[in-house]
Amino acid sequence: MNRLIASVIFSLCVAGLGLGPAGTRAMAADTPAATPTPVTVATPAAPANTITAAIDKSSLDNGGSITVTGIAPPGKPVFIEVWADKTLKASRFDSDPDKDTGVRPYILYMSTDMPAYYKLFVPKDQQARLDAIKKEGKQWSFSKALKDLGADGVYSAPARIKIDRFQATLMGSIVGSRGDLLPALDEKENKKRSMQLVKARFRDADKILGAAVVVEPDGHFRAEIKVREGLAPGKYNVVASVDKKTRSAPVNFENKIAFPHMYLENAGTSLNIFGPLLLTMAVTIFGVLMGAGGGFILNPLLLSIWPLPHTVVAGTVMPTVLFAQGSGIYNYSKIKFISWKLGTAIGLAMVVGGFIGPKLTELITLDQFKFVFGWILLVLAGLMLWQTTPGYLARNKKEQAILKEFQKRAAEAKNQPAKA
Amino acid sequence: MLVTFWGHEFKVNMFVACLGGFLIAIVSSMFGFGGGPFMVPLLTVGLGLPMYVVVGSSLLAIFFNTLMGSARHFQFGNFDLTFFLIMFPAAILAGFIAPMIARRISPITVKRLAVIGLVALALSLLGLY
Repeated sequence: MNRLIASVIFSLCVAGLGLGPAGTRAMAADTPAATPTPVTVATPAAPANTITAAIDKSSLDNGGSITVTGIAPPGKPVFIEVWADKTLKASRFDSDPDKDTGVRPYILYMSTDMPAYYKLFVPKDQQARLDAIKKEGKQWSFSKALKDLGADGVYSAPARIKIDRFQATLMGSIVGSRGDLLPALDEKENKKRSMQLVKARFRDADKILGAAVVVEPDGHFRAEIKVREGLAPGKYNVVASVDKKTRSAPVNFENKIAFPHMYLENAGTSLNIFGPLLLTMAVTIFGVLMGAGGGFILNPLLLSIWPLPHTVVAGTVMPTVLFAQGSGIYNYSKIKFISWKLGTAIGLAMVVGGFIGPKLTELITLDQFKFVFGWILLVLAGLMLWQTTPGYLARNKKEQAILKEFQKRAAEAKNQPAKA
Repeated sequence: MLVTFWGHEFKVNMFVACLGGFLIAIVSSMFGFGGGPFMVPLLTVGLGLPMYVVVGSSLLAIFFNTLMGSARHFQFGNFDLTFFLIMFPAAILAGFIAPMIARRISPITVKRLAVIGLVALALSLLGLY
């Protein structure tokens, strides 16, 4: 049986490892240097500057493929924006030094209007540029990418979200406050910051940008759009555009998520519920056996396997263990094995720490979260290893014997008023 | 501070205990884990208390932290109800299954296994593997 559990845990670990930081797939430089932009130019007599778009399906089942067709003014690149009606929270802590003054702004940008899905599809002949952007790795810049792809003007859906910004201060962070709410952003600044938020939320260039639109010289265009699994359910909007003003009317489709898949509202991810269910069970059992809560292993595994934000993982795993801790305290108190004085005194210090910690979670990025967590796990591994050394075990044995003795006494003295 | 436990008196350096507890609480609530495996060594090795005093009392201390940390995460909108409802029953169920397995397995074996698993997981998080 122990073998079984161990193998479950390890297969899970391996699954986690396999899905670690995806290596940037370096594309060979075989992209033709010159795929000349559609050499066309039909007469610009087309019916003014209008663009139409249509899709071949009205609903998808947890992602899938959808074909967008339409007619645009000839000779212009066509972009397609797809976004979900469902929204979620996105935040970014700006601590990069200012280019001119070198001063770090320490401003927290936050919005609860971020579409749960946003992707911009560019003409297929931009594939080489897109590959170059992907090669930049984690440090890529969405605003620079949009400029490179000529999509600066058509980027619109997330540009309209309402962004709040807070001036963080060291003192504010210590007392667990987000800081002062700064005046609202103007339209241009809002757009710029929204790009950073899109990148902070969806992270990979692959998830936000795709090259899919094939434009014929006469203005007819066609794009095969792949909507990945695990996205938000509900209405999605598709808009084709060639520039800031020339946009099609939105066409809609519905993404359906059916049991056993469920949508996690705050995490912005749909997943098969049996995945986290089994993982939590396996990890928690293992955690009880090794005498440490499961959170240490559960959090990083959840983050490695599913595209969940670290804030949501930390904020949801924590209350999960409340019950286990409560029942543990109850069991110890029954046999009077708690020093209420000691526990409460240290507990008061820990309450203060617990007040501050969650604030800091939103100030760091997923990568920083993983990095620090990696070191925490190494320290924990060291502690665990030390607990299996002969010296520790000998001491532990002696204390276990005393513990047993106390437990016996506790059982005998059950009806006598004992002092805790 | 003097702590009386089953007729024995222990002197506890509250400054170290509270400072350590405070720091552990920040990190554990920030990263969403309990903190027990750090609190127990702090109190046993750092402050020289015997294990039997520490287990129950540290759990009580951590409970305060988890309660506050959960409330704050909830306040910041980091709590996902559906996700919680998936994990919560699994954790409870595990609490019933684990003791049944615990009787048949040596904790030292589990800990050694855990060390390997933790190191592997840590290296993957650090991007080294």
